[in-house]
Amino acid sequence: MNALAQQGWIWFSQALTQHSSFSGYFQPLIQLIAPQWSTDAYRAQVIEIRDELADMFTLVLKPKTGLIDQQWPSFKAGQFIELMVEKEGSRTLRCFSISSSPAHYKKTGLIELSIRIQRQGRITPWIREQMRVGSLVNISVAQGDFILPTPLVEKYLFIAGGSGITPFRSMLQQQLLSEETEQRDIHLLYYSRNNQHIAFQQELEQLQNNCPNITVTFINGEQEGFICEQHVQNYCPDYHQRTSFICGPSPMIQQARKVLSDLKVDNSKINFEFFGAAPIEMKSTGQAIVHFQASEKIVVSEENKTETLLEQAEAQGLTPVSGCRIGVCHQCICKKKSGIVFNTRTQQYSDTGSEEIQLCISVAQGDVVLDL
Amino acid sequence: MDTKMQKTKPSAEQLLYLEQSFNAIRDEVISDLGERDAKHIHKIIRIQRSCEVSGRLLIMFGFNPIPWALGAVLLGLSKILETMEIGHNVMHGQYDWMNDPNINSKTYDWDTACPGESWKETHNHEHHTYTNILGKDRDYGYDLLRLTHKEKWHPANIFQVIYYGLLSVFFQWGVALHELNFGGILKGEVSLKEKIPFLKQFGRKSARQIFKDYIFFPLIAGPFFLQVLLGNIVANLIRNLWTSTIIFCGHFPEEVETFSIEECENETKGHWYYRQMLGSANFHGSTLLHTLSGNLSFQVEHHLFPDLPAHRYAEISPKVQAIAKELGIPYHTGSFFKQYSGVLKRILVHSLPEPKTA
Ligand SMILES: Cc1cc2nc3c(=O)[nH]c(=O)nc-3n(C[C@H](O)[C@H](O)[C@H](O)COP(=O)(O)OP(=O)(O)OC[C@H]3O[C@@H](n4cnc5c(N)ncnc54)[C@H](O)[C@@H]3O)c2cc1C
Ligand code: FES
Repeated sequence: MNALAQQGWIWFSQALTQHSSFSGYFQPLIQLIAPQWSTDAYRAQVIEIRDELADMFTLVLKPKTGLIDQQWPSFKAGQFIELMVEKEGSRTLRCFSISSSPAHYKKTGLIELSIRIQRQGRITPWIREQMRVGSLVNISVAQGDFILPTPLVEKYLFIAGGSGITPFRSMLQQQLLSEETEQRDIHLLYYSRNNQHIAFQQELEQLQNNCPNITVTFINGEQEGFICEQHVQNYCPDYHQRTSFICGPSPMIQQARKVLSDLKVDNSKINFEFFGAAPIEMKSTGQAIVHFQASEKIVVSEENKTETLLEQAEAQGLTPVSGCRIGVCHQCICKKKSGIVFNTRTQQYSDTGSEEIQLCISVAQGDVVLDL
Repeated sequence: MDTKMQKTKPSAEQLLYLEQSFNAIRDEVISDLGERDAKHIHKIIRIQRSCEVSGRLLIMFGFNPIPWALGAVLLGLSKILETMEIGHNVMHGQYDWMNDPNINSKTYDWDTACPGESWKETHNHEHHTYTNILGKDRDYGYDLLRLTHKEKWHPANIFQVIYYGLLSVFFQWGVALHELNFGGILKGEVSLKEKIPFLKQFGRKSARQIFKDYIFFPLIAGPFFLQVLLGNIVANLIRNLWTSTIIFCGHFPEEVETFSIEECENETKGHWYYRQMLGSANFHGSTLLHTLSGNLSFQVEHHLFPDLPAHRYAEISPKVQAIAKELGIPYHTGSFFKQYSGVLKRILVHSLPEPKTA
């Protein structure tokens, strides 16, 4: 009944406004009084911009609440949000972990994003230049399951690489600020490129002094190299009792997973978060023909060169809507008419029939026809 | 007219040059797309929404003829902007690069009886690909009007001025039912059965439109049912007459050429550009006139570059004209009145058979 009422409401809205929601129709007018108000995002104001390193800064945001702004639902330590910006007239989404804790949000109404400026990046350098105190940005609800499980007393091994520290900062801060009496036992191995590139160093050192259950080991990649079995064994000898969480650049995550596996850590106790699209782990990619039916374009993908359908479409000059480009936001949904695609996020092959797929994480396996 | 076209038909090299020059114009605009274009469409959408809301309020609560008439005009204006500068252009994908789900050709549906899906097929695909190829572009005369002596005369053509008038009055319905290909069905070329999916689409969309303008808004006005119903009818009429006029001026002033299917077999992009140039016509006027016509007053540019934001056509028009001049390709343009009287004259002339002595 409820679903029926909802369908009826959508019909009603479409009949009156040609939009599937009334707020979608009124959005351009509402924006006259509330700039950047959007039906599919929350508004937040930049309260402070703090440089952490030469190439990393923190945006302190206050999600707006009020008559036209719905309350932003809180989050769990370790989750991320999509930041939506409009650069040169074009909407773009980027994912960032919240680097501050839910407890901090509860107390101050503020959240922090700590952003590494990617040298060739389209958005991160631009955000640093563009944002001012007082600027408005759009954010999504918090998402992701890179969070600590609920049974409280447990031991953890955190492995962070570079900007991958952000979800851990949130988790550690939560432990410090929350009023829970029983504390988790956490050991953080924090890899950095060299000793000039350690975000939150002081803060983490302090945290270690204040919380007996938290141990932080700073590892200077320049001197000690990439993660290996010795590091884990030397710095955290009781690793086999711990549940691990890994976050950092993809090669580091892959290497850390391998190291832990080799050390006989059970796969179910290894959690990780890629700061980008998961690497494509496909067995073979033979030649595939992708037919973009609506635009009458055909692409023959090269053997052993794995490109997502989104990349292939864009290479043809098509402009399907996209957002996060890593399978989170579902904006790149497109109807597949036939053929098998490999989903790089779930590592699953699709059915052959007609269904909705996410272009940004789909790789053609054989011939595929898309309604695009 | 045909002989002129034969005489000036460009050589293969010239067509290649045309292709390269026009591609260059297109690339330049594409690389420059940005905030300016986003601002433009946002602004137009805001104006349209304001016109619609205030128009509907005035129609309902105007209580005397002058505010009521103003309301009807505002609502008509909103519908004109929505159909032309917003709906038509957004559905061409002109703003897809903005990555905004509300301003995207895949999702947008306009405020007319014509289902967006069907429009994208018959208009964006058929008409823009096969522009003015007799037998392929059914937009040519809408299966209803005989506009060239290359088409056989039929006694029914005598009254085609009347058909034209009716088509204009009910233009949104004419456009909506275009995909049905009624002519084809009558001739038995198309079966009604294969049109069932379209008919369902049409039924759903037109039900929504009728519900909105002729049932819901009049009903909620209670005692003012009739005044709202009438206001909405007038607003739709204003939009229908205007869009029909713009479309006819863009395609059927006197000098616009038609092509045969054979002429266009295995055609190059250069020849396609050439055909688009000959197949459409501009008219000049003020910025307001251009905006109200969805910049289809630059029909030539629109046909060359259907997916560039239409407000850019005015800017690239001088470049297009310069290249056309260099190659001796006609560039059809004239005042609004010249083009429109050309259309009427053509409808009249072709309603009678040609004298045998041609
Ligand atoms: C769930 C999730 C959480 C994230 N949390 C954070 C965070 O807290 N802090 C943070 O700084 N970043 C975080 N990221 C990464 C961040 O989203 C990207 O760095 C950002 O999108 C880059 O945008 P850009 O437009 O500047 O670069 P793009 O224009 O998208 O990319 C430019 C170039 O940089 C490379 N590149 C992009 N991102 C990375 C990366 N992360 N590592 C290495 N090379 C990269 C690309 O391959 C490309 O060559 C997170 C990503 C995800 C998926
Ligand atoms: S772009 Fe976000 S899911 Fe594909």
